[in-house]
Amino acid sequence: MSVHWNDNTPIYRQLREKVVAMILDGVLKEGDALPSVRQVAADFQLNPITVSKAYQELAVDNLVDKRRGIGMYVAEGAREQLLASERERFLREEWPILMERIRRLGLEPRLLLQGLETGGERA
Amino acid sequence: MNIPATDTSGHAVRARGLVKRYPNKLALDRADFDIPTGRIVGLIGPNGSGKTTALKAILGLMQFEGELDVLGFDPRTQRDELMEHVCFIADVAILPRWIRVREAIEFVAGVHPRFDRVRCERFLANTQLKPGMRVREMSKGMIVQLHLALVMAIDARLLVLDEPTLGLDILYRKQFYQRLLEDYFDENKTILVTTHQVEEIEHILTDVMFIRDGKIVLTSEMEQLPNRYTEVMLSADCVDAARALNPLDERSLPFGKVVMLFDGVERTRLEPFGEMRTPGLADLFVATMKGTYA
Repeated sequence: MSVHWNDNTPIYRQLREKVVAMILDGVLKEGDALPSVRQVAADFQLNPITVSKAYQELAVDNLVDKRRGIGMYVAEGAREQLLASERERFLREEWPILMERIRRLGLEPRLLLQGLETGGERA
Repeated sequence: MNIPATDTSGHAVRARGLVKRYPNKLALDRADFDIPTGRIVGLIGPNGSGKTTALKAILGLMQFEGELDVLGFDPRTQRDELMEHVCFIADVAILPRWIRVREAIEFVAGVHPRFDRVRCERFLANTQLKPGMRVREMSKGMIVQLHLALVMAIDARLLVLDEPTLGLDILYRKQFYQRLLEDYFDENKTILVTTHQVEEIEHILTDVMFIRDGKIVLTSEMEQLPNRYTEVMLSADCVDAARALNPLDERSLPFGKVVMLFDGVERTRLEPFGEMRTPGLADLFVATMKGTYA
C-alpha cells in the first residue's frame, strides 16, 4: 500500500486523522477491530512507535477501546462524538474563513443554498 | 504490541570516544553515541564517512580505541557471547554461491543456538525460494530474501543492517522492510541500519544519527526533528534579517526566493519571514553534509 504523508503534520496525527475519517465515513464501524500496530506499521512502512502513538491518542479521546491483550476496537458512540466535534470545529475554524470569502466575492446566500440543495439531491 | 514512546530502561549500544586510525585516514574521530533498546536507528552518512567502520567496531570485527558497550559486552574481548545476541546483514555477496537453501538452513542451525528452523522455513514459504535452490541460481532480491529469513529466525536482540537493500528493485525493498516490521521487530529488539535511501526509510526510523568524517554530527529522535529544524521560504528583502539568525544552510530558488534551514530557532521568530515547512531527512542530510566531496 502506498500512502503519501505531508511534511508539515506529525505522521502519528495524520494516521489518527485517517482512522477518524474511516470512522466518520462508516468504513470502520463501532465495535470493529482496528488492525494491529504491527500490521499497520508493516503495511504503511512506519515505525511501530508512531502507530502506537496514533492509537494512544484515539484511546485518550475515547474513540477506541483498548482490550488488554486483544487489541483496539472502535468505541460505542465514537461516530456521534466525532460528528459533534467535527461540526463544532467546522463552525469555529473553517466557516469564518469561508464566510469571509463569500462576502468578498459578493455571493448571494440564495445562490449558495441552491447549490447545496442540488448537491443534496445528487448525494 | 505496546511500545513506550521513550524507553529509558536501557541502551543496546553505548560508544564513547571511538577512534579508528587507518594509515592515511582517521575513520572514526572520537565518535560518541547511544542506541537505546527497542528503537530503529538509522546511521546515515556519505561514502567514506565511517559508517561501516562504526558497524565493524560494534560487531567486534576490528580493533579500535575508546569505550564501547554492546548489549553489556565489550566486542573486543567478549565477541563470542555478543554474537549470540547480534545478527548482521552486510551485503548480498557473503552467502557462498554454491550453497543450497536447505544447506544454508542446516549450517545456521548448526552454528547458532538461538536459530529457530521452523520459523525460518515459514518465512521461506512466503517466497519463491525452494529448498534445493542454489544461491547462484537466485536473483539479488531472492538472495536477500534468504538472508533475511535466516537472520529473522534468530532470536537476536540487536540486528545490524549495512545497506541491506542496495541494488534491489523497489518491490524487494518495500518487502524487506515490511517483513522486518511485521515478523521481527518488537520492543525488546533494536535495529541499526545504514542506508543511502534516506527517503525510503525515514518513517520507519525512530532515531537518526548523521556521521561525517568519523564524527557523529547529528543525533535525534525522529519525533524531535520538527521541533528543532525549520525550513523557510523567504523573499529577497528578508534575507539579511533571516541570515542574522544563523541558518544552517541556504539556497536560491527561481523568482528571487531563498530557502533557509534553521536549527533550534523558534518558529514564532521565523514566521514573519515567509512560509515554513519541516524539512525531510534528505533535506537535512544534504544541508549537513554540504562540501563533503569538495
